[in-house]
Order: sequence, then structure tokens, then C-alpha cells
Amino acid sequence: MHRQEGLEALGFRIVMWGLAALSFVLLLAPSLVVVVVSFTSGYSLKFPPPGYSFRWYVSLLDAWQLQFAAGNSLEIAAATTALSVLLGVPAALAIARSPTARARALDSLFMSPLVLPALSFGLASLMFFSLIGLPVSPLTLVIGHVVVCVPYVMRTTIASVAQLEFSLLESSASLGASRWYTFRRITLPLIRPGILAGAFIAFMSSFDNVPVSLFLRDARTDMLPIRMWQDLEGKLDVSIAAVSGVMIVVTLSLMILMERVAGLSRRLR
Amino acid sequence: MSYELKLAAPLAAFFGLFFILPLLILLYVSLQADTAMTSMAVSQFTRFLFDPFSLSVLAHTLFLGVEVTALCLILGFPLAWAYVRGPAWAQPILIVVVLLPLLTSVVVRTFAWIVILGRQGIVNSALLSLGLTDTPLRLLYTEGGVVVALAQVQMPLMVLPLITALSRIDRNLDDASAALGAGAWRGFWRVTVPLSLPGILAGCMLTYAAAITAFITQSLVGGGQMLFMPMYIYQQATALQNWPFAAAISIVFLAAVLAVVSVFNVLGRLSKAHAEA
Amino acid sequence: MKPTRRGLMTGALTLAAMQTFPRLSHAQARRLVFATFTGSWEEAHKDVLVPAFRKATNAEMVLDPMLSVDQIAKVKASMSNPPIDVMLHDPGPALVAIDQGLVESYPVADSKHYADLISEAQVATGPAPFFQVVGMTYNPDKVKTPPSSWKDLWKPEFKSRVGITNLNSTLGTGFLVEIARMHGGSESNVDAGFQAIKDLKPNIAAVAANPGQLATLYQQGQVDIGPGNFNAIQILKARGVPVEFVIPKEGAIAFKTTIHIVKNSPNKELAFKLIEAALSPEVQEKLMNSPYLIVPTNAKVKMTGEIAKVLAGSVEELKKKFVFQDWKTINTQRSAWIERFNREIA
Repeated sequence: MHRQEGLEALGFRIVMWGLAALSFVLLLAPSLVVVVVSFTSGYSLKFPPPGYSFRWYVSLLDAWQLQFAAGNSLEIAAATTALSVLLGVPAALAIARSPTARARALDSLFMSPLVLPALSFGLASLMFFSLIGLPVSPLTLVIGHVVVCVPYVMRTTIASVAQLEFSLLESSASLGASRWYTFRRITLPLIRPGILAGAFIAFMSSFDNVPVSLFLRDARTDMLPIRMWQDLEGKLDVSIAAVSGVMIVVTLSLMILMERVAGLSRRLR
Repeated sequence: MSYELKLAAPLAAFFGLFFILPLLILLYVSLQADTAMTSMAVSQFTRFLFDPFSLSVLAHTLFLGVEVTALCLILGFPLAWAYVRGPAWAQPILIVVVLLPLLTSVVVRTFAWIVILGRQGIVNSALLSLGLTDTPLRLLYTEGGVVVALAQVQMPLMVLPLITALSRIDRNLDDASAALGAGAWRGFWRVTVPLSLPGILAGCMLTYAAAITAFITQSLVGGGQMLFMPMYIYQQATALQNWPFAAAISIVFLAAVLAVVSVFNVLGRLSKAHAEA
Repeated sequence: MKPTRRGLMTGALTLAAMQTFPRLSHAQARRLVFATFTGSWEEAHKDVLVPAFRKATNAEMVLDPMLSVDQIAKVKASMSNPPIDVMLHDPGPALVAIDQGLVESYPVADSKHYADLISEAQVATGPAPFFQVVGMTYNPDKVKTPPSSWKDLWKPEFKSRVGITNLNSTLGTGFLVEIARMHGGSESNVDAGFQAIKDLKPNIAAVAANPGQLATLYQQGQVDIGPGNFNAIQILKARGVPVEFVIPKEGAIAFKTTIHIVKNSPNKELAFKLIEAALSPEVQEKLMNSPYLIVPTNAKVKMTGEIAKVLAGSVEELKKKFVFQDWKTINTQRSAWIERFNREIA
């Protein structure tokens, strides 16, 4: 009887740990494969590569089309993040502790871009801007990106506001501090990590956005993920592997930095 | 002390103007009879709903989401379980491995799958060198390839809510059920799974919504022979410039996603009530 | 919506944006946009034409590679403020673009090189900077006996090894028409061609979105044989990817490709200079040589080397040797074919 139980528990452990190991490898392997292939000396994406070199990283130095797109993507992501924080943080403060039905409704509205098909929204935006006669430009891109990125800022900010000790704020107010002073000196420092984490995710998701950019970009506002997608489809240049390698390293470093300053992983759950 | 709701006014106005209004315009365009957009009719919707080809694209897309979500759950649940049950030193490593794909560009992750699944890719080289096959298998541009690639790309969305849900479960409950003589599997199905149901549903909803709209992965790994809704919308809107029909397909797609999300929401609320009871 | 209110709103939004993000309004300064084709054409233009343009004008430009049909769709969607300044078209789409009034006529009188072009390339709506030839491509490492006829694609040994493109490209449409002709059809009746491509399905490994993507499938070893542009594989071949081009015994398909200034382009002067550079003997000479091997149209450039060996030594020979299709007839039904192909084959 005991033995049978022991066997059953063992089977359970083998299945669970086995599947966990499989998904661990599955999550990790693609990034490793890209990094390895980016050091190939050949012209194809053969794995393992026939030899190793830095040539594809060197080739990025003259890849002006990719550099131009990367520059645009950075600018758009920076502007999107700034606007998302400016609009999202006050809204998060307003609805975080409000129990009213109106606040709940606003919350659902602001979160809805996370689950609705962004491609449909991208098309809707294109139609809207063309109807009001605003041509596709960096401005329209930023507006479209803010809609799909602001939910991230809201989510992490709301979570950090919810954890605030409100008695602290009340005592500050009772000591005669103005609301603005209380916000600046007490609330803001406490919720800053939440805002930072949200801003970081908003930045990354704007930098990586495809479904909205697809409709709101043109050649002058070329975006890096779209340029990469078209290069992959049109010519499968190995330099895309080098770009990917750079992006993986930068993402990983930023992630570790954000984990240090904002406790990123706690704020994503 | 709390902040007035009027602090949300700027964002509400922004959403009203640049989110709700565009969606209303999408609806308006979808109700145009033709591309000249001079008269209104529901003909775009009837064209979609009575066309077996369009319906098959919709069904195929929705089913793809089910396959991806199921695979994500089967692989993601044990990973989240391992995170909660595993040693403390492993947790930071696991969280990096889960978060890195979430933050790495989708194009990069999809590109990795082209390298892995290609004829000269890692899977085929392994199979060939092990002598399991003498000709490379066709893995890229197949439905199976799309499902696996999408499952990997979207897995963090499943794992993160699961970790939250599993961390909240009191481990004493497991010990109690074991002490009462329930086997490991029985305890798992009777205690762990029901209590983590809110996390499972949240993860499934996010994964499903992301999988069916993943334009890049679907088109690069699926290739030209498989058509899913996002590409269908894109083709009609840009290459064919048929805005009314593209808008109608988008509306149908939005409605389908909304329906799925609402079902998950209702189930989520029920399961939360159940888990707390 | 009233135009005044629209103008007001646009103005207010733009103003607000410029106040908030001065760098973005700076980024908006208009560069010349040339929509070239994907794949080897993009690379050839990036390597040779763009540097020549920069040297001649000191101006910056961007390439936005896409198929002709997509170029037309984008320009048509925003005719008063086109997102593209210079378009590149195969004969079918060129007729459409001209018909729909999307292109400016070329300022022939100001051109230094127009008079030097061979007579076929002198087109007032947009001159032809090069010719293209569609034949068969195969991987010599995997296909030991070189194919000799389009019919070879249906051989059982090529199960899951053939690559084709959809009908959005000239390559795909030209192939369909050729296959239809082989089975008794014509430019006006391609039913037999559709049937034949349906029969080909077991052999089809991939349907590429454009000729550039089709070429990459050889690079990845994803396909081993299929129809292909002569140019599309040259850069790959120069890099050591095993690909060869062969003219099927039914004849290869040839056509000229024309370059156009887009109507209402705000960069007409620069657009003209880019096209001048494309027609110049210096650029054409460079593009004719390895690894690009693009058939020149400037009479001052003699066809030599690999082009003379594989294709033809002169335009006269090219015209005699190759099949020219009737794109006026093809255009009347092309969009219906595209739709049919996407439903029945893809």
C-alpha cells in the first residue's frame, strides 16, 4: 500500500518535473539558437553553423535601412512611453482606490486593448485618421501606440497604489501638507517602482509593436520590427540574426537593470 | 484619502477620441455597401457569413487559438508548479527564462523558429544525425509548426498568472490531503487545480487572445499556404484596398474575440467565488 | 465632418505634438521614397543605385521594397499625399498605374540618358531601366539532372520540393499563363493552368508571398525547384548558395520593367534624379556585372559576361528567343485570378 503510494508520487513528480524541464528548454532554446546562428560565417541559417565569425555584426554598421528603422522605433517608443506615463499615472491614481461603478467601467475600458485584436484597432485607426484628413506620420503612430501601451503603465501603477499605506498619507494631510506636497514627497516615491516597471514594459511593447504600426507607418516612419519582418520575408538576410542578437542582449540587460531598480518580476504577476 | 475621478479625465478623453471613435468608424465603414462608400448596407457581413471560404478562415483561426492555449497550459502549468515548489535559488533563473521571451521582440522569437524548423534547422539536423530519417522533414509552413512556435511565443502570458495563483495556495492544504491518504494525482486534481482555476482562466484568456492575433508568427511560420484572420484583414485592407470588407472582417473577428473573452471572464468570476468559498 | 473643423483639429493636434515632441516633427522631414522590389532588386538598388543617387544629389532616401500591386494600392489610397515618390512596375501593373493616373509623364526633354535607351525602353510614362527573364530555378546539389521543361515540375520525384509564388507577382501570374498555354489555354483563358497547378499541389512545398521570398526558400533548402527570375537568384549564387537558372524548352518569359515618378510626389526633382541615375550607363554597367546580372536597357552598355552566355547577347536576340505575354489581356482578369488562386491553391 505504502509502496504503491510512493510509486504514484514518484510518477507524479516525474511527469510534472519532466514537463517543466521541457518547457524550460522550449522557452530558452530559441534565444540561444538565434545568438549562435548570428555568429555564423556562412550565408544561410544552417544550424549548427559551418563556422563562426563577427561578419554579420560588422555588416550592421552599414545597414542604413535597419539603422534608420531602429532610430525611428526608439523615438516613437520614447514618445509613447512619456505620453503613456503622463496620461496613465493620474488615471491609475484616480481609479485605483475608487469603488464606484464608473471607476470600474473606466478600468475595463483602459485595459481592453490588452485582449482585443490590436490589428483590428490598427485598421480602425488608419480609417479614423484618413477620415479626419490626418496623414500617416510619427504623430499618428504615437497616438496608436499609446492606446495599446497605456494599459501596462496603468496595471503596474494601480497595483502599487493599492499597496500604499493610506494612513500615512492621511497623517501627512492632517499635518497640514498640501495634496501636491504629499503626492510629491510621499506618494510618488512609494509608487515610483510601479510606474517605472510599467513604463519599461510600455517602452518594450511599443518598440516591438507590429499590428498598429503595420497600418500607421510608411517608408519615412519605418519601424524596426516591420523592417525585420519584411527582410525576413523578402531576402532572409543573416544580418537579421545579428540584429536579433543585439536586441536579445539589450533586452536582457535592461531587464536585469529593471529588476534591480523596480522589482520588475513582482510587478508583472 | 483618495484621488478624484477627474484625474482620469485626460486618459478617458484620449480613449474616447482615439480608441472608441476609431472603432465606431470601423463599424461605420463595415456597413458601407461598396468601396465607393456612398450607400449603407449589411452586404459586407452577409458576404462574410455566407461565404464558406471566409467562414473556414475564421474557424481555422479560432481553432488555432484553442490548440495553442491547450499546449501552453500543458507545458506552462508544470513550469509554474516547479517555480512555486522548486528551491528558492532556482526562482530568479526561472523568472528570467519566463520574462526574457515576453520582452524580446516577437519578430526575433519567430525568426528563431524559422531557424529551428527549417530543412537545415536544428530539429532536422538532429533527426538526420540520429538516423531517424533520411530526408529532412517538412516542419516549417505546417500547422503543427505554427502551433508549437505560437505556444512558445505566448507561454509567458500563461505562466505568469499561474505562478501568482499557485503561490497563493496554502501548502498546508496539500500536506493535509496527503495526510488524509489522497494520492499525489488525486490531490493535484482535487486541490491544486481547482484552487488555481482563476490563474488558469486568466492565463488561457491572455494566451488565446494573443495567439489568434499573432500576425507575424502566423505568417512567417505558416507561410503563404495558410490563411488566418489577421492576414486576411491585412490583405483585404492594403493589397486589395477593400476597406468595407476589411472592416467587416475586423468587426466579426473583434466580436468573436470579445465573446471568448467574456466567457473566460464569467468563468473566472465563478471560479474565484468558488476558490474563496 | 466639415472641412473647417477637420482642418482645425488637424492643426491643433499637429501643434500640440510639435510642442511636446520637437524631435518627431524633425523626423518628419520628407526623404525620397523609392518602392523597389523585394530580394535581389532591393539589394542591387541598395548597393549601386542609392550610392549613385547620393553622390549625384547629396540627398537621403529610403527604399520601401514591395510588389507592384502593393505599390499601386498604397499610392491609390492616398493620392493627394502619396507615401511613395518613385514606383517600379512590371508590364501588367504599369498599365494599371498609367490607366488610373497614378504616374507623371517622364520629363524626356530634360533627360540626359533617355535618348540612349533602346527603343523598347523609351516609354514616356516611365522609361524601362531593365529587362527581366523568368525561367526555371533549381538546386544543383539536390536535382542532379537539370530540368528542361516546365512539365518536369509535375514529376513524382519532386514531391514536396517545388516552390511557386502567388499571383500577386508577375512571376506567379506569368507562370500560370505559361502553364495554361502549355495545356491549350491562353492569356484570356487560364482554366487549364489552374487545373494543372491544382494537380501540382502534392509537389508544392511552399507558396511564397513574393519572388524575393521564393529565392530565400532555396537559401534555406526549403524548396529545390520551381519557376524563378533570372536575377532573383544571382546574389545568392554569388554567395555560394547552390542555385542554377535554366531556360525551359517551351521558352523563358521576358518583360521590361519600368520606373515612374508618382503623381503629386512632393519630391519630383529628386525622383527625376533617381531615375536618371538608374538609366545612366555607369549604374547599368555595374548592375549588369556580377553578382547582380541585371539586363541593361541603355544602348551604350554592351551585354557581356554571364548575361550574354545564359540569356542573350543583345536585345534583338532577347526578343527573338523569349516569350512576351499580352499583359493588356491578362490585366482584365488578374484580380479575379488572384482571388481564385488564394481560395483554390493557397
